Amino acid sequence: MPSFILSFSIQRQTLANIQNWFERHASALIIFVLTAVSVFSFVYYYLNGLGLAYNDARSHLDIGRRVVEGLKPGLAQLGSVWLPLPHVLMIPTIWSDFMWHSGLSGSIVSMLSFVVTGYLVFLFLKKIEVGLFGRIFGVFVFMANTNILYLQSTAMTELLLLATMTAGVYYLTSWFKDEKILDIIKASFFIMLSTLVRYDGWFLLFVASVLVGTYTLVKKGFKVFEGTLIFFLTLGGVGIALWFLWNLIIFKDPFYFVFGPFSARYQQLQLESAGNLPTKGNIFLSFQIYLYALFYNSYTLIPILGLVGVVLLLLDKKVKGSVRLACIALLAPLVFNVLALVLGHSVLFIQGISGNTWFNVRYGSMLAPSIAIFMGYLVQRLKSLRIVIVGLTSFVLFFAFANFDAVTIDDARVGSSQKNVSEVSDWLKENTIGKQGFILISAASHDAIIFSSGLSMKRFIHEGTGAYWESGLASPDRWARWIVMRSHDDNDLVWKSVSRNSGFEKYRLVESYPFADIYELDEAFLSTLNTKPVFGKQK
Amino acid sequence: MKKIIVNFLFLAFCAFVLILSLRGIGGNPTYETLNSSDLKEEGPLELSPERGRFALTYSIIEDKSFQFSLPVAKFVIPDLGYQDGRYVSLFDPGVSLLTIPGYIIGKYFDASQVGSFAIIGLFAIANALLVRSIAKKLGANPIASSLAALIFLFGTPAFAYAVTLYQHNVTVFLMLLSVYLLLKWKGILPLFFVWFLVVGSLIVDYPNFFLFLPIGLYALGRVFPIEDIGNTIRLNIKILGLVSFVTILIPVSLFLWVHKVSYGNPLQLAGNVRSVKDFDENGNPLFREDILRRAGQEVVETPDSGDKTSIGFFKTRNMLSSLYIHLISNERGVLWFTPVILVGIFGISYLYKKRPGFTSLLLALLGSNVFLYAMWGDFWGGWAFGSRYLIPAYAVMSIFLAIALTEFKRKIFFLIIFLVLTTYSVSVNTLGALTTNRVPPKVEAVALEKVSGRKEHYTYLRNWEFLMANKSKSFIYQTFANDYVTAPQYYYIVSCSIIFVMSGQIAYMYLKARKES
Repeated sequence: MPSFILSFSIQRQTLANIQNWFERHASALIIFVLTAVSVFSFVYYYLNGLGLAYNDARSHLDIGRRVVEGLKPGLAQLGSVWLPLPHVLMIPTIWSDFMWHSGLSGSIVSMLSFVVTGYLVFLFLKKIEVGLFGRIFGVFVFMANTNILYLQSTAMTELLLLATMTAGVYYLTSWFKDEKILDIIKASFFIMLSTLVRYDGWFLLFVASVLVGTYTLVKKGFKVFEGTLIFFLTLGGVGIALWFLWNLIIFKDPFYFVFGPFSARYQQLQLESAGNLPTKGNIFLSFQIYLYALFYNSYTLIPILGLVGVVLLLLDKKVKGSVRLACIALLAPLVFNVLALVLGHSVLFIQGISGNTWFNVRYGSMLAPSIAIFMGYLVQRLKSLRIVIVGLTSFVLFFAFANFDAVTIDDARVGSSQKNVSEVSDWLKENTIGKQGFILISAASHDAIIFSSGLSMKRFIHEGTGAYWESGLASPDRWARWIVMRSHDDNDLVWKSVSRNSGFEKYRLVESYPFADIYELDEAFLSTLNTKPVFGKQK
Repeated sequence: MKKIIVNFLFLAFCAFVLILSLRGIGGNPTYETLNSSDLKEEGPLELSPERGRFALTYSIIEDKSFQFSLPVAKFVIPDLGYQDGRYVSLFDPGVSLLTIPGYIIGKYFDASQVGSFAIIGLFAIANALLVRSIAKKLGANPIASSLAALIFLFGTPAFAYAVTLYQHNVTVFLMLLSVYLLLKWKGILPLFFVWFLVVGSLIVDYPNFFLFLPIGLYALGRVFPIEDIGNTIRLNIKILGLVSFVTILIPVSLFLWVHKVSYGNPLQLAGNVRSVKDFDENGNPLFREDILRRAGQEVVETPDSGDKTSIGFFKTRNMLSSLYIHLISNERGVLWFTPVILVGIFGISYLYKKRPGFTSLLLALLGSNVFLYAMWGDFWGGWAFGSRYLIPAYAVMSIFLAIALTEFKRKIFFLIIFLVLTTYSVSVNTLGALTTNRVPPKVEAVALEKVSGRKEHYTYLRNWEFLMANKSKSFIYQTFANDYVTAPQYYYIVSCSIIFVMSGQIAYMYLKARKES
């Protein structure tokens, strides 16, 4: 009964033209959507106060700020606790109080990285000849992840790492595909940048080198292997070399970041002695814990489908063998994180699995771009099941968004990464503004308090203030009007020194909080107190 | 004629086994007997989902009310709702409404509870018929289709929920009937029924909204078909297809009416009502916070103490643990309770090659069932036998199983493995059906051991223990057979009958296939 049917016809050519238009403008559209989502997410988390929930986010911002402001500003403030690139990228904006205290100085790096990573997922899929639908779906999988959206709204380093690593692997794959010299230069450059963000990058450099080496040795012979590998590692390894050099120059020990008192290893040793590092030496538990983190960060179904995707990709004879080889680099974060847990270089707590808290669960997001790429490939490969795959993925994502399910927010808010320092910082804000005098505090233990107090960085004497720090520890009553420290805890460097100093008797405890106590110099001794920066420019 | 005889024998066998297994005790429950342990813990209404649904049927018939009187409310605890000063059901009302005829007929024979339960048994038989018909329509061998249907009915936990008062077999019926209608008839006509069934499923179980989404989307494709004609792509909108939506008015009206008379608000969902946890000495309701206060504990706000949201029950973070429990664990896992259903995996690719569109629909149903309930907060399904939430998935897998059996019907090695798995799965699930669904999750069993001071099983060993204590909840056994056989002997008779019939079918299928080749 034709009268009961309304029909709308479109010429195949017109459809092809529309598709071509999208193909031509896809990059701009993808970047526009990623940018809009990025800005919206930042505003959302800024307004609900979660943007700075991670203590580490506040510490990152303080490190950047100390480079431009403080009793001893300068590049040396970049320190050795974390690799320097995220803080270096904050320097152009961190001078602004708004950019510092809103967290935007760090978030803007994460947001740009989010857009870049999303776009790289698109480009990567194009590189392995996935159609427009698969490419857009891949970007969607990466973008529609509340954990990624939260992390890109904070001053954390994850997104910058993802951007640099994904760029590195993208250009590495390009080189494996076309063998253009420029691609391997770009690959080593971006991998080098990733080595300056987190140690995950160092492992990627290792994996990439093995892949480049194996490929050239098998395909081209020893001479080409030797030349290519040296060429690749020269640029790729320069970041690592500079980091050793930095540690040697600033801390007089090239391995200071490994063995120093603020190193991750030191932290892990303390955890181990307290029996809180069960993953060390236990490969099964390490794998299980990381798997939980990975699945929690990507909603279980998506990594499962991603696994199917990677298996099909690695077995796909239509994709050039060398390209498939390069794709193995996408799995480097998985191997690195499990290895780091087994070797005791990393710590990760999953509530209910190891302990009753969250810690570093965000590490599970390290495979987000890889999974997105595998998912994009999967819908291309299993075309007839496309609707089922997209439907089930959307189904799960609907519940993730509807219930605001972001394990990274729990990690930041209720896990070990979080401390409610507002009581201490509020006290400082209320009782030190308008009064003269420095505050002696260990930034290694209480950086979040420094940030949250809203006070000028120049008010604080901390480990990075050179002569002020040394003088403050030797004669606290001459330099510090207030001391913030965790009493009876020798891990707090201020307590360790000051509590054994006779000058400490001149202080009285004015407030005691769960995370720190506040001491104030008795008014009788204020006359001998230094309240001005007197050391001038220190080296 | 042969077809009629075969169909009759199939139906008769299914009905015979279900009658032997149907749980119940004689007599019509009254206010006085409702709260006795013979009917509750030790009887057929052993768990709150059965009690909540039976209580609503009871109230509608006996009290002419959708609200509960105090004795009925006490019977329903701990899954009791409280709205505007009245006790109401926390369960979706569909099953209670559907079992009304069974209750009335049963009451006439002085067995109202048995009559109510028998309605679910009828749905289970219909499900077996539908699995068989769908599989045949998709090209499966008739014997393979019958075998797959029997596997679904007696070789999966669907069996244990076909002899009591749960929603799962009704949900499966609505799902399979929708699929069958879409498969059997092309065009718009079946849509008039499909929309009715899809929306009607919400009255049976609210999560069916998500479970039935693939069917809705597939059916929608018939309203807006896209044609590829040479150089032109044509999108059609079938006006009659749009008109077919009118049938949803029937279930929607029923839904709104039932909720209006139950909760005073047509849009109030049962699961979101505030729940009563106990009663005080004066018969007044005690809520969670009252219980905590009485125990001297701090009252912490939870979803239960405030507004509950429908989608708040589904959390992606449950998925990993939940999938383990549903698929692998010995508490509820498919691997332990119905490994035979996994043979269906082999059928997926064969069906996909023949009917990619329909296979996509079946896979989408499978996926939405598994992943929806993988997100569900209580992924054990409370005290339960096997993974009851995956019963729709077992039905879909049975269809794939029929295809796999068709493809491998000449492979003796495959059939031997299939027979072994069938024997195991039927034995386990008959054990569940004839005994109890009161199997605690491991976490509760461990806590229970501290109280009881004895080993508390959390696998089907608990059912075995129950059976070895010479107990069965089968109505026939308790009313007639216990004078002649022990409970274990009764179990052996029922399970061996099923295995014997299925073994015969497997052998017949193999011999026939060899003869044909």
